[in-house]
Amino acid sequence: MLILILKKEWLESKREGRTLWLSRIILLLLACALLSSWHSYQQLQIQKTQVAKSERERWLNQGEKGPHAAAHYGVYIIKPDTGLSVLDPGLTDYQGAVLRLEAHKKNDTLFRNIQDSIQMQRFGDLNSAFIFQTLLPLLIILLGFNSIAAERESGTLKQLLANGLNPKTFYMAKVFALSGLALLLFVPVVLYIVYWLLFGDNITADRSALFIVSYIGYLFIWALMTLIVSSYAQTARSALISLLVIWALGCLLLPKFAIDNAEKQYPTLSSQMFQSKLESEIYTPERQQAIAKFKQDTLDKYGVDNVDQLPFAWSGAQLQFGEKFSDKVFDRLFGQRQMQLEAQSLHYQSAAIFSPFIAIQTISMAAAATDFAHHQLFSNAGEIHRRSIQATLNGDLKDNGLTTRNRSKNYQGDHHLWGKIPKFSYKYPPIGQLTSNYGRAVICLILWLVGLISLSYFAIRRIKNEGQQ
Amino acid sequence: MKNDAQTNVISVTHLSKHFAEYQAVNDISFTVKQGEILALLGPNGAGKTTTINCILGFLKPDAGSVNIAGINPAKDVVAARKQLAYIPEQVALYSKLSGLENLTYMSKIAGVNKTTEQFRQLLNRVNLPEHATDKPVGSYSKGMRQKVGIAIALAKSAKALILDEPTSGLDPSASHEFSELIQKLAKEGVAILMATHDLYRAQEDAHAVAIMNQGQLVYSLDGDAIKEAQLESLYLEHVRAVSTC
Repeated sequence: MLILILKKEWLESKREGRTLWLSRIILLLLACALLSSWHSYQQLQIQKTQVAKSERERWLNQGEKGPHAAAHYGVYIIKPDTGLSVLDPGLTDYQGAVLRLEAHKKNDTLFRNIQDSIQMQRFGDLNSAFIFQTLLPLLIILLGFNSIAAERESGTLKQLLANGLNPKTFYMAKVFALSGLALLLFVPVVLYIVYWLLFGDNITADRSALFIVSYIGYLFIWALMTLIVSSYAQTARSALISLLVIWALGCLLLPKFAIDNAEKQYPTLSSQMFQSKLESEIYTPERQQAIAKFKQDTLDKYGVDNVDQLPFAWSGAQLQFGEKFSDKVFDRLFGQRQMQLEAQSLHYQSAAIFSPFIAIQTISMAAAATDFAHHQLFSNAGEIHRRSIQATLNGDLKDNGLTTRNRSKNYQGDHHLWGKIPKFSYKYPPIGQLTSNYGRAVICLILWLVGLISLSYFAIRRIKNEGQQ
Repeated sequence: MKNDAQTNVISVTHLSKHFAEYQAVNDISFTVKQGEILALLGPNGAGKTTTINCILGFLKPDAGSVNIAGINPAKDVVAARKQLAYIPEQVALYSKLSGLENLTYMSKIAGVNKTTEQFRQLLNRVNLPEHATDKPVGSYSKGMRQKVGIAIALAKSAKALILDEPTSGLDPSASHEFSELIQKLAKEGVAILMATHDLYRAQEDAHAVAIMNQGQLVYSLDGDAIKEAQLESLYLEHVRAVSTC
């Protein structure tokens, strides 16, 4: 009976111009989004590879230079992308792809206004994720709102029931037909991912599996929701209105409200305020006192009266001491800031219990490594690299600064020193290790599925009881 | 009502059904035997459709019982529905599908396994014009839709046929054609329950007539008495009598 109903649904859909045209429009949009994202991704990867290569060459061939001067010129590191970022660019455009590592400063592209929060004002930006998360549910609604309600309205439901229709099979066939159609539109994405897994790089099976399974679950949720509403609605028109309200709330209003609420609950300083707070807390009288104490302790330790008598270049030791002093301030202030942003993110994720859109958005960005958490991971790796560079350059200055006649001020590092700084390379960890960043969203998505499958029992009962009102 | 030796296909015994304060059906009993056509007459709100819905298993009776070929729909609705076919006032069909596709789909839902050719022959048997068979039902007249409905009943080899206002809105010619079809079905042994306002059709076609008013069965007659009766006068008399009580 299931196949029979599916065949009939397919036949009707085929003859229904609406289905064909809506599917064509979505496919066209998807093709445009995929091609455009693919093109941008390819261009970006070429640029990133070239920039990383030329930046490394510049560093290694910068000639003779004071190590501290080199530290101030800094090193530029490039944030890696996964192949899935083509499908879901997430916050990429808001976070930047390049990080400058220099002395005394912890730069982060988060210090742009648009990155002060996890706000994702991406509507209107045509990408695959937008199509899957926002437009495909709308398509499911437009294709399925009348699926059961219209059968009720036209009387075919009663006719079928009188002919011995099994309501459960009927409902399941409707679910399969509707979700099958939506999943058909998802096939190009699955093919893209499989192709990328086989022939590309920057993509892993675990992330791909999470991405695909979550989207299948998400589309299934919308198919179930559409059919449940359709089975309860007296008319197709009331089903459509109810579903459009649910869609607008779930995909447009609730996410916006959840973001605003998260920002209110866990406020962060603006970029400018944060920068000035950093500077005011680093360059303090306490810092001067700490340096003076460090100087005195060092002189005492070596039993000398001034730094010129030390067996190493004082400037290198002092710079490294200053770095460590700043690092503590960075760790504290950036740590606080990161905690607030993580709290915002978790708060936002929790709202997924009210909106499957929030759940899929979170999971999708996590799988594609385009969320705040992955940016933070990259940023943290960059900071570790920055500190390592400073330690190496300051250590070299301290150890070798005395070999020059005019002491450390004129000491010049050369390609041997630059070569000691390893090339920065970063790969995102397996997605399984980052469940704290998207776990709530996964749970919410599962809860939505379980909840709607449970509600389907009542929808089937409603179909079974057709004619009783 | 027709011949006691014949099997009762539809048995309604002391059936009652109420909705909130409204007593839609109040302790009614009747039977429809194999090959018998029972016309259930009554004004709007008399309880005809509620009775039909109880027979079809869409409503559970408050009291009394319904039996379709030995099966109580309140206990096993699927098995009971397999024994009957239902044709509402407006035969509900899928407008994008052809008559043949509708017949095939509805019949297969009912567990009927026939070839396309056999389904085509069924449509031919109910006099659906051949050129219409493969056309979308959306372009059918009401009479043509009724024919597809009867073809569905034929395909099911239903023991009972329930008709709710079958001739309402049909032109005289289509109404006559419909009448011939159900007479043919009755001769083949199908028990037919027809709720109708059409007194002429009832008098022409039915082997038994029952008049309902305000949920009660207020009058019934069968056999040759139907043809001889002044049905309209009887109808008005019994409907008015109860209404003024």
